[in-house]
Amino acid sequence: MIVTINKEKIFVATGGQVFDNSKPTVVLMHGSGLDHRCWALQARWFAFHGYSVFAPDLPGHSLSEGEPLGSIEAMGKWLVSALDSAGATSIHLVGHSMGFLIALEAANLLEGRLKTLTAIASAESIPVNEDLITTAESSAAAAADLMLKWGFGSTAQLGVSAVPGMQPIAIGRQIMSDNPLAIDLKACQDYVRGGNMAQNIRCPSHVILATEDKMTPCKFGLELADRLKAKVSQIDNSGHMLPLESPKKTLDAAKSFIGKHTN
Amino acid sequence: MGKSSFLGAETIALHAGHKPDPCYGSRAVPIYQTTSYVFESVDEGASLFNIEKGGHIYSRITNPTVATLEQRIAALEGGTGAICTASGMSALFVAFITLCSAGDHIVSAAQIYGSTATLLRHTLKRFNIECTFIPINNPEALNGAIQENTKLVFCESIGNPGLEVSDLPNISTIAHEHGLPLVVDATFATPSLCRPLDFGADIVVHSVTKWMGGHGVAVGGVIVDGGAFDWGLKGKHPTLTEPYEPFHGISFWEEYGPSALVMKIRSESMRDLGPSMSPHTAFLLLQGIETLSLRMKQHVNNAKQLTQWLSNQELVAWVNHPDLPDNPTSDIAAKLFPEGAGSMLCFGVKGGREGGSAFMDALTLSSNLANVGDSRTLVLHPASTTHSRLDDDAMKAAGISPDLIRVSVGIENISDIINDFKSGLKSVQRLLK
Repeated sequence: MIVTINKEKIFVATGGQVFDNSKPTVVLMHGSGLDHRCWALQARWFAFHGYSVFAPDLPGHSLSEGEPLGSIEAMGKWLVSALDSAGATSIHLVGHSMGFLIALEAANLLEGRLKTLTAIASAESIPVNEDLITTAESSAAAAADLMLKWGFGSTAQLGVSAVPGMQPIAIGRQIMSDNPLAIDLKACQDYVRGGNMAQNIRCPSHVILATEDKMTPCKFGLELADRLKAKVSQIDNSGHMLPLESPKKTLDAAKSFIGKHTN
Repeated sequence: MGKSSFLGAETIALHAGHKPDPCYGSRAVPIYQTTSYVFESVDEGASLFNIEKGGHIYSRITNPTVATLEQRIAALEGGTGAICTASGMSALFVAFITLCSAGDHIVSAAQIYGSTATLLRHTLKRFNIECTFIPINNPEALNGAIQENTKLVFCESIGNPGLEVSDLPNISTIAHEHGLPLVVDATFATPSLCRPLDFGADIVVHSVTKWMGGHGVAVGGVIVDGGAFDWGLKGKHPTLTEPYEPFHGISFWEEYGPSALVMKIRSESMRDLGPSMSPHTAFLLLQGIETLSLRMKQHVNNAKQLTQWLSNQELVAWVNHPDLPDNPTSDIAAKLFPEGAGSMLCFGVKGGREGGSAFMDALTLSSNLANVGDSRTLVLHPASTTHSRLDDDAMKAAGISPDLIRVSVGIENISDIINDFKSGLKSVQRLLK
């Protein structure tokens, strides 16, 4: 569906069902340079199991209009505006990598509407190598290659896919190459208040980590979990790109937790 | 560096798509000879049917052995995904009908495989899909042939039988300017020699029966999605962008983006038409692909040496290979095929149709048959076999001269191939005396 925020048309994937704000809403927020397609399977499952799905493309990403936002704080406010315009009232926030930082900012603004918060392959801060940002400024594709080589686990690097016939590394590369990766990475680099924001969270929270994650290694995810007092799930044989790389295991972990906290 | 994998091509050919079997540790890819797969629960089954989870339902749609082959070929070509089919022709048919509906139009290279030309000229016409054939390297002809209802541009990376190389960068640029994808049959090349996606193509199709398998024991095809084409940009491809009723109005482009084509083919053609590859065939083809890069080097080396030798023989009237300066596309071949433009060559012997027949009958090592891409050297004299019912004028129109001998150069010791051809030329000499 399309929602209009600040006169810009924003694409929101709804998992193949019409968005119904009377249902509990599962928000799926993508990471740096990615878009709603990294949630293709998970979005469809939630949409056909009693939830409304809200998986937006950030401004200037893939199917959304507008200029990319330059800070995590601005992205968090923007997400709340988008949810307001959709009339979502019972919200489960799920974010992958940078998407979790956005969710964390949004969570602090949603107050009673927030039911659960889930971090996937994330931490309270995601420092980014300056060289990677510089590379992304000149070529998103070149930076995407570096990130994907680092970001996918050993199984995916062998071209093994959980979805028959597919190559998730190539899918990730195609999405990231056309999006404002450098701006997203810079926003991650500049974001420093994740720890403080995490301390404010009072709703049930869940941290899903990948044992082969080199971008946000498990120890940082566990620190986040401590701060959030969150349930922790660890997924083996997967790297940082969990939603694309291990879609079923990621879904199973997320739906189990959200299901327990859905009235 | 590939788009799908950061491993080298030789490693991809051996490993991509497979880790040792978790049940028994089988190092080789097992043959999952099963029609169907047990669902963990009712909800799990429902989720698989509704594309909420990846997995296997029924081997007409997916199979673990076939999926390994698909993932391996997708990685070799640098695509986002692949679908294997029962043959190269079914791969082409599926690719065409996934993008075209009744009333639509295709622009195709004129110099293409005969069965593909028949599919485009006659079979698809019965479904009201028209095709215009053009000299594909002529930009004016390509621009002029594209109509409002055109859905794709099609060519072969190395044309059959003329062995002209398609100028993929220029063709794809023009196609994209019109909002059209470029579909390339790369059977004669294999990803070892040229990856069309690197030169602007959007979809790659192979008859994997040929060099990809190499052993000549299994028929199969594959469609590889490059994932870069923006199906939503100009609204020209409603089969991928408009709601698809059988799956609750799904828009494959919106939901899957770079993998929209593969997901649509899996959900529609594989499900409704059933042109699936058997797991045993996939296993056989995997054995061949493991040695693809080694074989292609030998194919190309042998083709170069045989071309050179034939060019120096008095009884040989002419020789054609894309790398030869006389070939009108040799400069394009040099750009697209730095390691050599494949192992197909054509030549003519003195004595015309009779000379060609005499040459063929004297061969003992090379096999006279209607196939290409086997590891063994294969030869065909179209004037006395596939095109024997045509007179000389009709053959000329088809790009085939009466003396033409088509050679798919194998990987035998080159001296043995040359000795065999020497016998053929001696027979021609006896005929001419």
